[in-house]
Amino acid sequence: MAANGERSELQTVLRELARGLEKGVALARIYNDPEIFEAEKERIFARTYGYLAHESEIPNPGDYVVRYIADDSFIVIRDAQGQIRVLFNACSHRGMPLCRAERGRATSFVCPYHGWTFNSAGELIGVPAEQEGYGGRLDRSAWGLKPAPRVEIYDGLIFACLDPDAPSLREYLGGMAWYLDLLTKRSAAGLEVIGAPHRWVIDTNWKLPAENFISDAYHTLMTHHTMVELGLAPPDPKFAMYGFHVQAGEGHGLGIIGPPPHISLPPYWGYPEEIVRSLQQNYPSAAHVEVARRTNFLHGTIFPNLSILNVMLLKDPGSPPTPMLTVRLWRPLSPEKTEVWSWFLVERDAPSWFKDLSYQTYVHTFGTSGVFEQDDAEVWCGITRAARGKMARRFWLNLQLGMHLRPDPTWPGPGTAYPLDYAEANERAFLRAWCRYMLEERPKASRRRSSRRRS
Amino acid sequence: MVVVTEHLEQEVSRFLIKEAELLDNHAYEEWLSLLTPDVRYIVPVQVTQEQGVPSRPTSGMAHLDEDYTSLEMRVRRLKSARAWAENPPSRTRHFVTNVRVEPGDREGELKVRSNVLLWRSRGDEPHADLLSAERHDLLRRVEGQWKIAQRVVILDQAVVNTRSLSVIL
Ligand code: FES
Ligand SMILES: [Fe+2]
Repeated sequence: MAANGERSELQTVLRELARGLEKGVALARIYNDPEIFEAEKERIFARTYGYLAHESEIPNPGDYVVRYIADDSFIVIRDAQGQIRVLFNACSHRGMPLCRAERGRATSFVCPYHGWTFNSAGELIGVPAEQEGYGGRLDRSAWGLKPAPRVEIYDGLIFACLDPDAPSLREYLGGMAWYLDLLTKRSAAGLEVIGAPHRWVIDTNWKLPAENFISDAYHTLMTHHTMVELGLAPPDPKFAMYGFHVQAGEGHGLGIIGPPPHISLPPYWGYPEEIVRSLQQNYPSAAHVEVARRTNFLHGTIFPNLSILNVMLLKDPGSPPTPMLTVRLWRPLSPEKTEVWSWFLVERDAPSWFKDLSYQTYVHTFGTSGVFEQDDAEVWCGITRAARGKMARRFWLNLQLGMHLRPDPTWPGPGTAYPLDYAEANERAFLRAWCRYMLEERPKASRRRSSRRRS
Repeated sequence: MVVVTEHLEQEVSRFLIKEAELLDNHAYEEWLSLLTPDVRYIVPVQVTQEQGVPSRPTSGMAHLDEDYTSLEMRVRRLKSARAWAENPPSRTRHFVTNVRVEPGDREGELKVRSNVLLWRSRGDEPHADLLSAERHDLLRRVEGQWKIAQRVVILDQAVVNTRSLSVIL
């Protein structure tokens, strides 16, 4: 059968790629291939944890935002009791989306098609002509809005997973949770999202930005050369080399960068003293404080498509170096289209002058118009285009950067840390995890829970 | 207070057309000279909300939130051969229409609203990006010349359909 033929061709490509990764090469076609993309939706996005929202975006009962996991739309709402719910945004009667705003506050949702009404917990509370139409036989309790199979929250970050057999989020994050704590536990008050996310569409395959953030410090020297020219980044084009390249397991990873030699940069990303004091008190371990002390730039990706960036930059050449934090989701739309969702976050109890400065630093450097981000988009569009044709089917890309490096045994955090951030080890690990999912092998953590294999 | 005459309306329209020409010709330094030193340039993020919820300015986030210093920085960046987002440069065309002029709150100032349609084409890709917006400008007369003291660009989309806002609306 044709379908089986296609499937086995895909398996062959994936096995070939898995072998290639051992030698540090990857096949370009994975960045623009309709068949691979369809398989990703099933095998990656329907089985991994997808990031939806931060608790601070829906502070009050009834507050909701509409978010996506690949094609699926969810209402993320704080119900009347204050509990966070993730409800599939489709009426349980005939499937009409109930919520067509991006955000708002609601005590109930009325379907525009036949008027079925649901409360903020997703329960069916109203059915027009119920007696006449259903003769009293409709079991309302069976027809509430469908919740996402798994919903979990880590320090305010709300995730959902479409696979009911998935491991817990904590288990899924593995060593990455330790590093996430560097960002989420600086203050007892936690983080807050400022405003709405930036949303825009880039003609790129989703993996290119995900891999860029997990691994690619190397590109800053060329892609972001203008940042050094303008003085928004340290006056050394290779500034992003001087750090640790950390594989945090299960396809997650990050880079943690300090000052270049002979350049002194403020410790703790340059956070104001209030936040430095609070992180010293709130971090879960002394090792966190020690790592944070020598950090100015942190970039990473939580497999598959949530990236984090916590970096000290200048909002303009005349301003002081200022840290900013963004999380960004690379939502797959097609093999060559990705919707970017980029949120700006800051410690809830940070001084207001700092919140303003950090916001401006974010808007000027990242997000839709960011002077860093603009140039990244150009590169990712280009690679996606190059991967479209027949040449890409046999075109092996070089992922060998840093293959000579040995892990640093003294690194205080979990995972494997290489003592130079100019490495592609994280990219290789990301693609190895990607291959495992695509070959439908469950990652270690979840195999314990479920030995069931899909046919 | 300024009295808005037909002549003044024409003068403002000509000013906006001239500005658009500078942008489309990538004459960004000349464009900077049309701004006051205390200029604010803001492109708020649009958020789709239920009818009746005030639509702006509620998103609390902006695609661009600039002052003169940051705009000058963006212009300086565009001159670098390594500003890849605009090298090769985008071909842009600003279509400016529906110019509405009202007196400003202060002497020598005008509130001007205009609609803008921006065509952006990059490289040899056949499709182009089209952005539509309403601009709310504050113009100020400085030494006999109109200058832009403030611009708020209200985009007509929640999800921006261009790879980056490296162009000025
Ligand atoms: S589809 Fe919602 S009430 Fe019928
Ligand atoms: Fe980059």
